[in-house]
Amino acid sequence: MSDLVISTSKLTKEYIRDEFKVVALRDADLEVRRGDFVALMGPSGSGKSTLLHLTAAMDRPTSGTINVLGSDLNSLSDSAIARWRNRHVGFVFQSFNLIPVLTALENVELPLKLTHLKKGERIQHAATALRLVGLGERLGHFPRQLSGGEEQRVAIARAIVTDPDILLCDEPTGNLDARSAQEVLALISTLNKEHGKTIVMVTHDPHAAHHAARIRYLDKGELLPDGSKPQDWN
Amino acid sequence: MRFLPLIVKNCLRNRRRSVLTVASLSISLCLLGVLMALYYALFFGGPAKAQARRIVTRHKVSIVFQMPIYYREQIRKVAGVEEVAIWQWYGGVYKDSRDQRNFFPRLGVEADRLFKIYQDYRIPEDQKQAFMRDPAGCVVGRSLANRFGFQVGDKILIKGDIFPFDLDLTIRGIFETSEGSDEALWFNFKYLENALHDSSRLAAGTFTLLARSPEDVPRICREVDALFANSPAPTKTESEYAFGLSFLSFLGNIKVILMSICGAVTFTILLISANTMAMSVRERVREVGVLKTLGFQAGTILWLILAESGLIAMIGGAIGLAVAQLLCLVIRQGPAIVDQTKTLSIQPPVFAALVGVSLFIGVASAIAPAWSAARQNIVDALRFTD
Repeated sequence: MSDLVISTSKLTKEYIRDEFKVVALRDADLEVRRGDFVALMGPSGSGKSTLLHLTAAMDRPTSGTINVLGSDLNSLSDSAIARWRNRHVGFVFQSFNLIPVLTALENVELPLKLTHLKKGERIQHAATALRLVGLGERLGHFPRQLSGGEEQRVAIARAIVTDPDILLCDEPTGNLDARSAQEVLALISTLNKEHGKTIVMVTHDPHAAHHAARIRYLDKGELLPDGSKPQDWN
Repeated sequence: MRFLPLIVKNCLRNRRRSVLTVASLSISLCLLGVLMALYYALFFGGPAKAQARRIVTRHKVSIVFQMPIYYREQIRKVAGVEEVAIWQWYGGVYKDSRDQRNFFPRLGVEADRLFKIYQDYRIPEDQKQAFMRDPAGCVVGRSLANRFGFQVGDKILIKGDIFPFDLDLTIRGIFETSEGSDEALWFNFKYLENALHDSSRLAAGTFTLLARSPEDVPRICREVDALFANSPAPTKTESEYAFGLSFLSFLGNIKVILMSICGAVTFTILLISANTMAMSVRERVREVGVLKTLGFQAGTILWLILAESGLIAMIGGAIGLAVAQLLCLVIRQGPAIVDQTKTLSIQPPVFAALVGVSLFIGVASAIAPAWSAARQNIVDALRFTD
């Protein structure tokens, strides 16, 4: 397999909002190599999350091509995309998005229910993922019984439990205090450096972005060339 | 099966709402169960075992018209008829007619033939003999005796309204039956013969026949009616089961009434359940987005929501069925409008129909929100705010 994990060409996404056409992303060309850690930065509405969603095949582009791990995402059916996402992509949300009625262990086990693993194996994998994020003692806790930082670590465990090739993080520290944010960023860095995960992280926070090996900026729906950033960006 | 814990936990997500939904489903399905049991008992259950050989002959025009008592001997000659007995409705007033609780059937019967035809009715032999010997004797059903506290040897005075004389009776026995109604008083037909003085005024309200076998019943009905087809008092002969059902027709078209109520109940439960499921799914739009992000396919999401709704409906149905069975037990103990209510129960076809209705309600109530959630775009679902 090529070293190129994510490759987009002239990727464009337009929305219709109240009869008006909104261009969320215009002609984005992004390349991410295996083991890379890329931070996507930019002001609100610049298209960061849109690019991340398109990369995870959570949405379809209006035009352009997107190739992830050798698959042309435009050519896959909805069910094939769902299987592909389960196998290859882990996604971490800003607001954790844990299922409140499930324990930490059950939340992490959830993506494994779509695999052929038996219950015992699923539990074992989920427990291992939770131990990896430092929550080995919190398996039976419900989300409401965890702090924000712990919830996000459960979410990260859920994202990595299927051992995906790519980890996509959408503002993973956006809802956390400084200390928890630091712990989560350290964890994400560890997953990149020690476990070789390819990571694309959307963030507003320059401090968070500096954990990444590369930072790409977006502005008004355009992905700026490597090394450049918006003029009014501090 | 691997999703069952998730389905169960989703059912218990909002416990109060789930409990209320299950309760409303239970009550509705219990009502539906009793109505369906009644419908089945009346129109599909067929006669009770002991009733299968009994036939009733009445005046073709109406039950209020009489037939000559000599019909009995002609009916007796029809092949397959083992016994014939006259029944005569007396009517009358017990204590105070304004109090409906004082109403119960009072019928003149041929005591010597009666228990040959009603072999399933139980009465001690000495009481039966005393009844047959005493022209002013009567027997009462166990339920009636319990209601009024009647004892053997008690005197009962019934004031005549149809007939120009009163009945001064002595209770000679108490009979019991497990399948038919025993809320009745039967007095000796000889009382009428003696009181009327003129035997030409004697007539029969109905004849009850005992056929040799249930298979003979349709033929006997035809042959008896053919006997009197051109007489001044033509007859209508039918099984006792059908005769009992004909009383229900006085209330209207029972089939349509029962079916209408069943339909209304089902539709109402469907609306309640659909409203609940729509609320439940709406609260979880974001979660649907999360599940899809994890790789859940639209079909799996659809199935999960339908299974959740189906499970709630099945729990409601199971409780409703259990309560309906208890209600049937209560109805069996109460006064019988028709004999079938004395054996009312949730029969296997009714059970299967109720399980089917529960499942239908579960699936039908959730199909629209489940379909909508399953087809929801992930990004839109994640951005959804209630």
